[in-house]
Amino acid sequence: MRIGLFLTIALLLGGLAATILALGGGAGWEEALLLGLPLGLVEGAIVLAARYPCQSAPLRASGMTRALATQATAALASAGAWVILGGILARMLETLPRYGGAAIRFRGGAPMLVVVGALVFLLAAAAHYLILALETARAAEVRGVEARVLAREAELRALRAQVDPHFLFNSLNSIATLTGEDAGAARRMCLLLAGFLRQSLALGGRDRVTLGEEIALVDEYLAIEKVRFGERLLVAREVDPGCEGALIPPLLLQPLVENAVRHGVAQRIEGGTLSLRARRRGEEIAVTIDNPRNPERTGRRGAGLGLENVRGRLRSLYGERARLEVATPPEAFVVTVTLPYIVEGPRTAAAAGAEVSLAG
Amino acid sequence: MPAETLRVVIVDDEALARRGLRRDLDALGGIEVVGECADGFEAVKAAADLKPDLVLLDIRMPRLDGFEVLSLLDPGIAVVFVTAHDDQAVRAFEVNAVDYVMKPVDPERLARAVERARERRRRREPMPVAAIGAALRPPGEMLSRILVRDGARVHVLPVDEVDCIEAQDDYIAVHVAGKAHLKQQTIGDLEAALDPGRFVRIHRSWILNIDRLDRIELYAKDSRVAILKDGRRLPLSRAGNLRLRELL
Repeated sequence: MRIGLFLTIALLLGGLAATILALGGGAGWEEALLLGLPLGLVEGAIVLAARYPCQSAPLRASGMTRALATQATAALASAGAWVILGGILARMLETLPRYGGAAIRFRGGAPMLVVVGALVFLLAAAAHYLILALETARAAEVRGVEARVLAREAELRALRAQVDPHFLFNSLNSIATLTGEDAGAARRMCLLLAGFLRQSLALGGRDRVTLGEEIALVDEYLAIEKVRFGERLLVAREVDPGCEGALIPPLLLQPLVENAVRHGVAQRIEGGTLSLRARRRGEEIAVTIDNPRNPERTGRRGAGLGLENVRGRLRSLYGERARLEVATPPEAFVVTVTLPYIVEGPRTAAAAGAEVSLAG
Repeated sequence: MPAETLRVVIVDDEALARRGLRRDLDALGGIEVVGECADGFEAVKAAADLKPDLVLLDIRMPRLDGFEVLSLLDPGIAVVFVTAHDDQAVRAFEVNAVDYVMKPVDPERLARAVERARERRRRREPMPVAAIGAALRPPGEMLSRILVRDGARVHVLPVDEVDCIEAQDDYIAVHVAGKAHLKQQTIGDLEAALDPGRFVRIHRSWILNIDRLDRIELYAKDSRVAILKDGRRLPLSRAGNLRLRELL
């Protein structure tokens, strides 16, 4: 492929040189080709090698003069060397009686050859600059794609991290205990845990889920925790019927509910009621998770990080249109997430408008 | 010849987890479970009243966590942490004094831990409680409260309410609102756990909460006293004076 390109260029340049020698110097076509074709091969090599000065003197606003000077010098030097080589070849050819006076005839075409040689070099340099620019753009694009892939992976890692491994270990411990005393209960707990894991993997793999789906996942989680905490964990749930179809990022509420259990209800000997409310307020939905806490335990070490994660996700997905607010009355911890109210495709006003315009 | 019966207290806030441990211990034999506790205060009380040989201690619990309970137990009581949190368990293990068992509980692992506790008891090897407490505190985290045990009762003293702390031989006296609470700890260990921006070692035997300082007075050549807002006068060493000035 490379060789083919090189030979094509060499042949074209050889033809050009031969034409100049025949027309400008008055050489016969046979003599002109004998000199022109080797010169074409040499110039072909020079054209390909022009990439290196282009790389070492890139076209930048700051280094423009330097780049132009470098290229002009290289063009003149290569053209000069090229023509001197041609002169040597002509003198060698002259030794054959058939081509007597070839050197003098060559001298007639030489000025034109210098000009053409320099122009060809500059043209080649321009082409190389273009190729280098395209390569750079392509590399940047590849880097951009890589960066997006990395960002996505980071998001997935964040999602995975949101299912607390300690929750899994504690649940497994509950199952291990139940196997010895109530096989049926152990089995139910296994099924609950499997259902929760399956559902969180399924939801975690999607861009958006409905609030109803997320709440169903939270319910499974709470059912498992109820086995562990028994009477200490009570749940109150209040979801406006209009909210269930709203689209939210997957596993957004789950870590908040987990926090409410781990740092709230579990820190109280008497336990308490965790309440989850979802309301629609105009073009927004507000989800509130309200849990009692133990006022003696002020530090919510892990909780702060979990809240920051959720805040970060909301910011990157919705910018200013979503927020997370925390209120801490003396014996409670209240987190409210407010998001734009968005529902599945065909039901949105914009999509409905699009359908109408298509129909019209 | 059967081993001597080991008296054990189980501490875990989950009833289910307690039942599981009790059953595993019963299966081992040679063990009498003398108490079950659902939180740290109960655990401290049970340990004081029942004087068990071994306490199986959950780490994450309401009110007092496992590390805080450990710091309040008599050094003669062996402790095995039972936890789902491997990062904490690793810290416990690093101090090489407390054993730990991960949840879900492997009965063989529990049996080995119990055996080691038995061994420790035979050798009458006390637990280096202070060292353990220091090693288990998460790095960079300052003490927010001081726990003092008075028999079976635990006093929780938030550090904001502490006026000053005095060294008395092997004990420290924590002064809060005119009352002194005695605790078995060295003043150096406690100093290391307190926020250095708020508590200053002003003397070999005194740590001062700088919020309580009213003024410094010279009462003899090269000799100063710190006068607190409640009028109490504390000795101020030369080094303590420098440390105090650096902060103020």
